[in-house]
Amino acid sequence: MSDHVDGPRQIGDPPADLTDLFAFTSPQNPAHTVIAANVFPSAGVTAMFSNAIDHSIVLRRISVAGTGDAAKFKPGDKEYRFSCRFSVLEHGTDSKPVQRGTCTCPDGQVLHFVVNDEEGASTPDGVFRIFAGLRSDPFYLAWVTRDLKKVPNLLQHDNVLAIVIEFDTQRVLNPSEGSLFGVIAETTPLPGRASPIGVNPPRYDWVGRPEQTNMRLSNPAIEGTDDLRDLWNQQTPFAVVEELKPVFHQKLVESLTNWDMRDGKADWSPAALHATANVYLDDFLLIDVLKPTNDSSFFEIEKSTIQGKPYQTGGGRTVNANVVDMMITWMVNNDREFMQGGATGATKPGTRTFPYEASPNSELQTVADSVDLAAPPDQVWALIGQFGGLWHPLIASIKLTGTGVGQLRTIETIDGKQIVERLEVIDNSQRLYRYTNVSGLGVVDYTEHSTSSPRRAAAQSSGEFSFWLTTNPH
Amino acid sequence: MITPEIDLAHPLTDGGIAFNNLESARRQSWTRFWRDPLRPGIAEYIIEQEQMTLQFVGDLAALDRLGALVRHLDRVAAESPRTALIHAQFASMAHRFAEAKRHLEEFGGCGELSDPANRLSLSIEQACVTNLEGVLEARRCMAKKSERLEDLVPLGALHADLGDFDEADQIYHRALREYQDTSPFPVAWVCFQLGSLWGELVPEAQLTRTERWYQRAIRYLPGYVKARVHLAEIYLLCEFTGEAEALLIPAVPSGDPEVSWRLAEVLIAMGRLGDAKEQVQVARSGFEALLDKHLLAFADHGAEFYSGSGNDTRRAFELASVNLVNRPTLRAFEQAYETAIAAGLSEDAAKVLTAARDRWGMTNAFRLSALAEIHGNPGSEVAIA
Repeated sequence: MSDHVDGPRQIGDPPADLTDLFAFTSPQNPAHTVIAANVFPSAGVTAMFSNAIDHSIVLRRISVAGTGDAAKFKPGDKEYRFSCRFSVLEHGTDSKPVQRGTCTCPDGQVLHFVVNDEEGASTPDGVFRIFAGLRSDPFYLAWVTRDLKKVPNLLQHDNVLAIVIEFDTQRVLNPSEGSLFGVIAETTPLPGRASPIGVNPPRYDWVGRPEQTNMRLSNPAIEGTDDLRDLWNQQTPFAVVEELKPVFHQKLVESLTNWDMRDGKADWSPAALHATANVYLDDFLLIDVLKPTNDSSFFEIEKSTIQGKPYQTGGGRTVNANVVDMMITWMVNNDREFMQGGATGATKPGTRTFPYEASPNSELQTVADSVDLAAPPDQVWALIGQFGGLWHPLIASIKLTGTGVGQLRTIETIDGKQIVERLEVIDNSQRLYRYTNVSGLGVVDYTEHSTSSPRRAAAQSSGEFSFWLTTNPH
Repeated sequence: MITPEIDLAHPLTDGGIAFNNLESARRQSWTRFWRDPLRPGIAEYIIEQEQMTLQFVGDLAALDRLGALVRHLDRVAAESPRTALIHAQFASMAHRFAEAKRHLEEFGGCGELSDPANRLSLSIEQACVTNLEGVLEARRCMAKKSERLEDLVPLGALHADLGDFDEADQIYHRALREYQDTSPFPVAWVCFQLGSLWGELVPEAQLTRTERWYQRAIRYLPGYVKARVHLAEIYLLCEFTGEAEALLIPAVPSGDPEVSWRLAEVLIAMGRLGDAKEQVQVARSGFEALLDKHLLAFADHGAEFYSGSGNDTRRAFELASVNLVNRPTLRAFEQAYETAIAAGLSEDAAKVLTAARDRWGMTNAFRLSALAEIHGNPGSEVAIA
């Protein structure tokens, strides 16, 4: 998943775990650039930022130092750093905790803001604006990447903590000196004190392009190799240690070779593959701030440069860019045929207005129940396992539309109500099906599962019917 | 010697934020679980989060929630080795070690889950005091290989169990030195272990040292219920009743009956006998409810309660015996012996003493134990601390 849970350290310390980085032209004002970084995968509905971490988004001017098989992007020395820090929790007026934050901008101005305030805070001169708080996770991954099996979005209904910064492109970056920039985000420790106990780690996590760690450096289809993700996460962005570069490069080449052969066809020449690995080794998100960005411009700068031609777009990465399918298509078949995963969007699409990442998802309610039956599971399943089966005493009739997954059933209840449900999963071998509500129930995000199973450690002649549903009441 | 006052080089996330985020992430994990109970890793993650909730927040309902988790996995994936391993983890958390071992055997141990299964197996052996030499060797290897806190702390705890107190202390300090993350939970855990080491495991408690470690654990995690209870005990010993009460009051909402019990003792020391009686009653019903559902997990705590304010020495011995059978640590022998004496069951006490000598007599830990001092008739000696 993009950069979610990308190493053993991140698993133990989720508020330090960067999940995604975005950079795009402001949809509200084309003269502005937006950069955003998310932390804390599966944050829930009340998560807050760590007060012990410096959250930074950093830009450096980039020059194209080579094209074709010698493709190379060289970062400049000057950095434009946005550094955000957060306070401990305060008691709010409605008993909910309040957290405050500050953002130090590249020109030294300091913005003070309240976490989760959608208006955010702006500098008096209007050059900078920031939001920080809980949002719906804009990332979506709908593949089991080990074997490229399509699945529904694995991050459906998840939230993250987002930091979104918008600024006046001209006044901050002066693109006349060069408009191509590399962007990274990093989480680092706040300055500590001299102590004989412990070592101040250089950083907790950093991210440039999506999936550098979880799909390329740690290719799930290649087993039995060292996990280099923590080592990678401790590198200094824009300055990976020279001695380690061959190790990472080798890993990237192995991984990209594996990705290329996932469809059984070699779409990449060895030279192009090495060039791509070199580009990935310089891990920063590229954006040309004078060219337009859109949902399909992600990675266009890199691709064009590797192909030896001038890039056309601003590259970057918008909130709604389908980056996983774009990356998988590129790695597996070199853009021969688009590979669409099992979802076409995140839980909620990004918006056209500040702060661009959608409002957070609320907590789902779950109801689970089961009943023991003195009948074998197969016999129970024969009765309840038909999506169109008429067995429920409160149902008068069921009409089916279509077949298999995606099939609709229109239920007329005995008191005259109509409910429409869609079959999402059916697995007769597991005696399980899952369906969602289309209309007729006063709920959203309603998913119900029905299953018939033997009781554990009981004879196969006894079983149970169980159901559970998760939903948001309207 | 490194003193407890010295801080880590890097700051840790504030305890209030850490608790808030644990709760937020835990609830989200449950939502994910109900949406897809077979999703790789989700049940395991919930086990971890609920274990932390139990350990640090003192939310004992975590065990009930995990019961619901394993029952549901039985419905949807009864035959899966992963379900067997999760059953084993849950049973181990509830101190049902025999059951945990059975589930581990069902699991069989293969593939990517073999590492957590091996770790669990070691924890069970350590808890049940079996194959300690083998466990020690395995723990040393794991700690040497990873140098991570989560491998160093169990090694330190094993040394402490074996009576190698200085070695345990050094390993705990090493764990603090190696820690480079921001979560305060692991650090507070080490501080608590150090407090427990110098306050409860050594033959002569070093109260000042203990107090500082517990204080530090609470400084990192103000809501750390267990640390508050243990520090309140020390304050009570030192007759700082106001401080002890102030420590316990914020922990009452956790519902942990140990809080009510210790609070009752503080109130008695303050002469507020009516309030104390009320708290004892809350503690008694709390313990009985827990013992009814999770007898093995709380038998030793229950025994301690009934030895003291619970004022039922027979019940105390009964529970201490249950704990001893389940988990024959030296501390369990000491507790069973002490409760037998208090209940006037000298024959039972003698049996416990003989069994303790058989099991632990050759160890350094036993030589340092008050049980080693007992000669002649049981009960003729000073009480075991």
